[in-house]
Amino acid sequence: MTDTKFPKARAACLAAAMSLLASSTAWGFTLEGPPKVAFIYGSAALDGGWNEALEAGRKAVEEQLQIEVAVTENIPEEATKLRAAIDLYVKRGFNIIVGTTYGYSAPMAEAAKAYPNVAFLSASGTENGPNMESFYARTYQGWYLAGIAAAQATKTKKIGILAGFPVGVVNWDINSFALGARSVDPDIETIAVFTNSWWDPVKEGQVAQAILDQKADVLATNLSATSPLDVAEKAGTPSFGFQLDMSHAAPKTIQTSVVFRWEKYLVPTIKEIIDGSWKPEEYGAFEGMDKGVIDLAPFGPGVSDETKAKIEAAKQQIIAGTLDPFQGPINKQDGSVLVEAGSKLDDGALWSMDYFVEGITGTMPAKQ
Amino acid sequence: MDFLIGWLAIIPSYATPLLLASLGLIICERAGVLNLGAEGLMAVGAMTGAIIVLSGGNPWAALGGGAVAAAALALLFGLATVVKRADHTLSGLAIVAIGLGMTGVLGRPYVQKTFPGIETLGDLFGIDRGTVFGRIVAVQDPVTIALPLVVFALWWWLQKTRSGLRLTAVGENPAAADVAGIDIQLTQLAAVLASGVLCGLAGAYLSVATSHVWVEGMVAARGWVAIALVIFARWNPARALLGALLFGAADALVPRLQAIGADFPVYLTMTAPYILTLGVLVLSSLRGKTSGEPGFLGRVYLRQDKH
Repeated sequence: MTDTKFPKARAACLAAAMSLLASSTAWGFTLEGPPKVAFIYGSAALDGGWNEALEAGRKAVEEQLQIEVAVTENIPEEATKLRAAIDLYVKRGFNIIVGTTYGYSAPMAEAAKAYPNVAFLSASGTENGPNMESFYARTYQGWYLAGIAAAQATKTKKIGILAGFPVGVVNWDINSFALGARSVDPDIETIAVFTNSWWDPVKEGQVAQAILDQKADVLATNLSATSPLDVAEKAGTPSFGFQLDMSHAAPKTIQTSVVFRWEKYLVPTIKEIIDGSWKPEEYGAFEGMDKGVIDLAPFGPGVSDETKAKIEAAKQQIIAGTLDPFQGPINKQDGSVLVEAGSKLDDGALWSMDYFVEGITGTMPAKQ
Repeated sequence: MDFLIGWLAIIPSYATPLLLASLGLIICERAGVLNLGAEGLMAVGAMTGAIIVLSGGNPWAALGGGAVAAAALALLFGLATVVKRADHTLSGLAIVAIGLGMTGVLGRPYVQKTFPGIETLGDLFGIDRGTVFGRIVAVQDPVTIALPLVVFALWWWLQKTRSGLRLTAVGENPAAADVAGIDIQLTQLAAVLASGVLCGLAGAYLSVATSHVWVEGMVAARGWVAIALVIFARWNPARALLGALLFGAADALVPRLQAIGADFPVYLTMTAPYILTLGVLVLSSLRGKTSGEPGFLGRVYLRQDKH
């Protein structure tokens, strides 16, 4: 604005109005004081699964941004307990708080209202606001690639996957795994079983056995425990892990693991918070392979070069946006049309997914 | 047929830890000490077993170590309830908290590390897996196979031997047992220790024999199921065997029905064992039978009190 005739008062007025407009339409946030980051975990940080993947992200933040990152573990998913932990951190001058479990989301949103100058990030959360962003990853993209690898490995044309509860973020993994496999061979049957718990290694091993007893010759686990991979290793069955590189549990039979690389979200986001350019997404950050938040762990010894090439090609298409696991035509388990050719499921449909796609053998309790 | 064989073969792996813990609780409660600490005792057994194998120990030594470690925690429970005469319910819940908390802290370096477990009968004796018998038996381990014998021995001991009857007498009427010259505290302390050994064994079985890994909280409420089983079994070891098999069979059926895509109510089926337990309790009370509950269960005996 070089026009000198333009009255300074009016310019100031306009700027004020614009900033008011900006703050009401897009959320803006400015950090006060030096950045101090705190991570709060619902259980042990090194749990060999979900938390450990986030903990790897935390370490990357510490190293790459050269800032202090504090950690608290074993804060139960109770509003009062979490709030006490948050209050304590804020009192000690921490102004970027990362909650790591779904159950923190609502109490974190309350805290975010009480502390407008503190930034809140909520993993697998549901709440968002001017100073709070929930984040999750498009895990189904990784599972689609795993499905391709599974199709390459199976001889019986039966592959199996065990999972926790029939919620949207789990169902899309199962469905995408089956769709990936059927993109290679449409005759492949995917056996899907829910353990109805998130954390029971004993049961997960037993369920893995139940799947193998149905003549599946590929086994994937959508859960955190290593016991299904141990079962697969003993049976000589190609296997897939989740969340972290699980090759240590099945060094011979592992094909790959669908892994989170949370640093690809946490480092740039916290950097934005610090330099003042952070604008929380209205419906939460929902990153995929294009940002590198979802990736595959290094392939196991049994994966052929042909399979690797196929997966790499599909991965590049997903990153480029030319391939979407949930692009039509897709039928549901009962044969009814889910997506027509030429269209694809939007994010809303993904989150509310409560059905299996065609080619899956399994019982969907969510519909009952 | 394949479905049936697979199901029958896996039931013992569900039933064994439940039964081991239940047998321990039966001994303890027959002596009049209400033991709600099974979950904590099993947690200690599971962690200790895993630590021993991960430190290069033999899996059998790991089972033993799990039993000993849980017995040590049970001793604390015994000192509180039997010697210091603290409230059984509160002491039991404290044992759960101590067991779960302690394993969470001490077991931290051992989380999610797979290790070799107990060898199965198939590995040990080279059983042919071609036959139906072979397919069911080869996947079992020596602990599972020995269990029916343990159940019989325990039943026989409780019903037919002098020392077994003394234990029951202490739980039914400690004042009378006291007059008869039985050392109440010693008997109860021994019973509490036995429950520690068996619950520890049950926990170690989960990590060392079933899943070959340890993680925090892996007992996953099986200790509470064992407590329910004791009531279902009306404090009788033989009925505990039956109950554990029933629980195990129902539990093992749910994922297997899912795997063949059966259209069945998943959540309802998961509650079946519990509904069954309730039904048995209601039936037995309707028919005027006693529940089998030891007469002095959970109460604190003081010699100078009138009972």
